[in-house]
Amino acid sequence: MPRLETLSQVQRRNLEFFPCLEPETTPWVAPPKPLSESRVALVTSAGVHLRGDQPFTRDDPGGEYTYRVIPSNCNPADVVQSHFSIGFDHTGIYRDLNVTLPVDRMRELAERGTIGSVSDSYYSFMGALRDAGPLVETTGPEVARLLKAEGVEVVFLTPT
Amino acid sequence: MSVLARVFEEHGLVTTTIAMVREHAAKVKPPRALFVPFFFGFALGRPNEPEHQHRVIQAALDLLQAESGPVLEDFPDDSVPTAYPQASQVTAEGESSARDAADEVTALRAFYERWVEQHDGRTAVGLCGIPQRRFRGVVRFLEACARGDADADMAERPESMSRGQFIRYCADDLKAFYYEARMVQQEDADEDALHRWFWGSTAGGKLIADLAATLNDTDDAGLKSIAYGLAR
Repeated sequence: MPRLETLSQVQRRNLEFFPCLEPETTPWVAPPKPLSESRVALVTSAGVHLRGDQPFTRDDPGGEYTYRVIPSNCNPADVVQSHFSIGFDHTGIYRDLNVTLPVDRMRELAERGTIGSVSDSYYSFMGALRDAGPLVETTGPEVARLLKAEGVEVVFLTPT
Repeated sequence: MSVLARVFEEHGLVTTTIAMVREHAAKVKPPRALFVPFFFGFALGRPNEPEHQHRVIQAALDLLQAESGPVLEDFPDDSVPTAYPQASQVTAEGESSARDAADEVTALRAFYERWVEQHDGRTAVGLCGIPQRRFRGVVRFLEACARGDADADMAERPESMSRGQFIRYCADDLKAFYYEARMVQQEDADEDALHRWFWGSTAGGKLIADLAATLNDTDDAGLKSIAYGLAR
């Protein structure tokens, strides 16, 4: 993103006053094996999902904390985006899904041997949530358990 | 993203994250974050440039070599990010208000269909559930909403979806249809040119800006929120 000082006043103030957690410490897990042997998953907050899936909505006044599953072998033609922010430029993802959800790049990394393998499932959330509570308490841990059950060691997280 | 990275790490997973807002990542302290200098919507850099995107991904994966955290590193500045123009920043050309958005849709259809063909079926259109060949009807629906007709609706709206949310998806689909058609019409158009064309030169852009103004003028907080996501 551009440095805050280069943005419009509206966007800069939105970001400056966006409610963030400010924890003292950071959880830390050392990689258990080399990346070239690790199973890697993508998780995004880009609000993308399969075409036939329920789009993300703003109907819940408390926010949108659910997630969608996207198979790692999906056809990019089957993925659409229902993120409700107008604060990002949609033309990037119109042109290339990989700017946000790098499904092709991950396959290439596996083929090159940079990573061991890709997980079967990727996960998508809605970003720009002003209250991260339900994400921390409920759906985040739920997806963590699903990833662990699939043997994932490394998660690469992408916003939009 | 940074919050989710913390949750995953707390559950025993190793994470690395792309951060778009450096200041937020510094506050939230995810274990490993790569700040990128690209504008929102371009998390991994330039579209359709695989090796450039691989450089970004590799820089994020390189953070896995750190022995302790939090790690917050910057991707080398090889890009000058440009904020794209919003509707209110574009001066509309007089003629756009004289045109019929439904006729525009019909005129753009061949270009849109060529886009889909050129991209192996990939299109951002597909949220409202109405096929693009019936977008003239979507235009008429959005025009009624923009006039303030609170009873305007479409039979295709799922019962579980609010009218406001359905309006949003119709508008997003219409926007995507216009942009994808334009990217065929003007293959070398950059982002700035695309947005200026849509908001400044098309009846469809004017319709969505008018719709946002109407929704924002109601007392309904939900519709105001939808309006904010349609046009600013």
